[in-house]
Amino acid sequence: MWSEAVDLFREYMGTGLIVILYMVSLIYLWIHEKRKYIRVLFLYVPLILLLLYFNPMFAEFIIGTVGGEIYYRIIWLLPITIVIAYTCVCIYGDMVQKQGVTRQSTQGKGAMHKAGKKLLPGLTLACMGGMIAVSGSFIYDNPFFHKAENLYHVPDSVVHICDAIHVPGREVMAVFPMELVQYVRQYSPVTCMPYGREVTVERWNYVNPLCEAMEAEIIDMAELAPLVREAGCHYVILPADKEKKGSPEEYGWILFGEMDGYVIYREPTRELTIPVLN
Amino acid sequence: MAIQLLILGVLLLVIPVFVGGIFSDVDGMRGGLVFRWVSGQFLLWAGFQFISVPLIIRERNFSQLVWGFWLYMAALMLMAAGRGIRQIQRRVPASLVKGGGKGKQVSEMLFWAIFTGLLLFQLVQAVRLAYADGDDAYYVAISAMTQDADTMYLKIAYTGETTMLNFRHSLAPFPIWIAFLARVSGIQAVTVAQVILPVVLIAMSYGIFYLLGVRLFPEKGGQLPLFLIFTEILVLFGDYSFYTAENFMIARSRQGKAALGNIVLPFLLLLLLIFMKKLQEAERVPVWCYLLIGAVATTACLCSTLGALLICMAVGVAGLSAAVCYKRFRCLVPLAICCIPCICYALLYLLLAD
Repeated sequence: MWSEAVDLFREYMGTGLIVILYMVSLIYLWIHEKRKYIRVLFLYVPLILLLLYFNPMFAEFIIGTVGGEIYYRIIWLLPITIVIAYTCVCIYGDMVQKQGVTRQSTQGKGAMHKAGKKLLPGLTLACMGGMIAVSGSFIYDNPFFHKAENLYHVPDSVVHICDAIHVPGREVMAVFPMELVQYVRQYSPVTCMPYGREVTVERWNYVNPLCEAMEAEIIDMAELAPLVREAGCHYVILPADKEKKGSPEEYGWILFGEMDGYVIYREPTRELTIPVLN
Repeated sequence: MAIQLLILGVLLLVIPVFVGGIFSDVDGMRGGLVFRWVSGQFLLWAGFQFISVPLIIRERNFSQLVWGFWLYMAALMLMAAGRGIRQIQRRVPASLVKGGGKGKQVSEMLFWAIFTGLLLFQLVQAVRLAYADGDDAYYVAISAMTQDADTMYLKIAYTGETTMLNFRHSLAPFPIWIAFLARVSGIQAVTVAQVILPVVLIAMSYGIFYLLGVRLFPEKGGQLPLFLIFTEILVLFGDYSFYTAENFMIARSRQGKAALGNIVLPFLLLLLLIFMKKLQEAERVPVWCYLLIGAVATTACLCSTLGALLICMAVGVAGLSAAVCYKRFRCLVPLAICCIPCICYALLYLLLAD
């Protein structure tokens, strides 16, 4: 369990440069911070929390109770951002204060020397900002960010397909390709699916034969069609460019529409009665 | 859409600020309007947790929860109005915003301008960029289903199948609060969760950083905006791993765990800072401080089931450290009382969850 806690800590801290900045900040505060309540909250409390985090018995109890996946969230209790930001400003404040004192005692010295001294706090500030930037990673460079296609933050294809197959007043069952699965029910809670996001998470080891048939390199209609019928699907959504062994029409599927690179088929064996709305 | 946005504005800004009026004369109101907004929202969240969990466990309709929460909000607003009237009678000036721009140096103005620019950049990015996170398939789908089907946690989020009550997730019903906002405003839950909430919650996180800054730099004007700029840099470059609170704040702000890491825990830090300062000055810790710590503890449970543990750890370690450092062991009793909601929800979790 202790090694799990260490691994999680290492993973959390990435390159580890931010931890170094945090440690430097703690040392600075240890030496310079005069206010006791800030020392308690920014120094002693985080140190005790870290000791708890790395305590094997504590780790075993917590990981055993809530699971190892979320143990890292205990690190959120360390006020890393606040402490580093506070220390940076304190260092800048101290420099400005010292500069004020030195300015009085060095009146009459060269103009160049004065200008250099005046720029020093600003340069230090820029350096500290730069160090943080270099130690971290710009959040919007994260590959999971992309330009939103609409006000729902789901792909346009999901919006168009769900709107097309929507039947007022009732739910419909549709099977989607893997890349759309996680968005469908965020946008349309009346679109049900035979499998959902659980199939996309490898570590959950969730196996669904219908999903496997849908995601096969070449879709075998002889295999897919009975699974779709068994799952009670009204619609099947397939990528338009996906190669198929056999024709969907041979299995009674009716071409319902084509949009955004996907083909929608209606599986007619499952009844789809439109309820009479008031 | 404009009216719907206006309704959300009232729900997320006006009502919390009004409710926060309950704390309008505490601690010299340092932080002014921002303190009212944040503390008011915490009271609302805590109430939502108290009302929603019993209703969810008893498998009641979402509509009943909506009415219950409206009544709670009305009661809080009446209390806030009552306090406001009393203040006027006592002729306490109801100044909401402290200070003003008098005597500000150019450098300070520049720092404020940089901070505002960086904040606006993040808020625009929250609307402009989408972040593909698999967990949304659960949380946002729960909000969408609740808004649509009027049931809570009785369907499988991934497929839509009817199921037994999911106790594990139902004890932290942050997605149901999103569904409430969606129901009342009439905006689709996915838009509330993915577009509107990130803007509000990111702004609230910086609001709490501001409140911390006000207390860390009480008299040094220029240092406050500088502190905020550094917090922004640390957040913007906080993607050094997938697990950081900063990553959650920007990328997954609509999820309860993001609110836990970036709103609940920083606000708890602020309250503990106030608490310890009072101990240091040998003053009595005011009741409102304990009340807010209790609200924070309950909100943590609303956000994530792990919130109960994190709050108990933070309050426990900070309380014991303060008690030892200031030799004030009696302060541990009210702090322990503040943690009772966490203990109750943790016990429920252990008893009911699979």
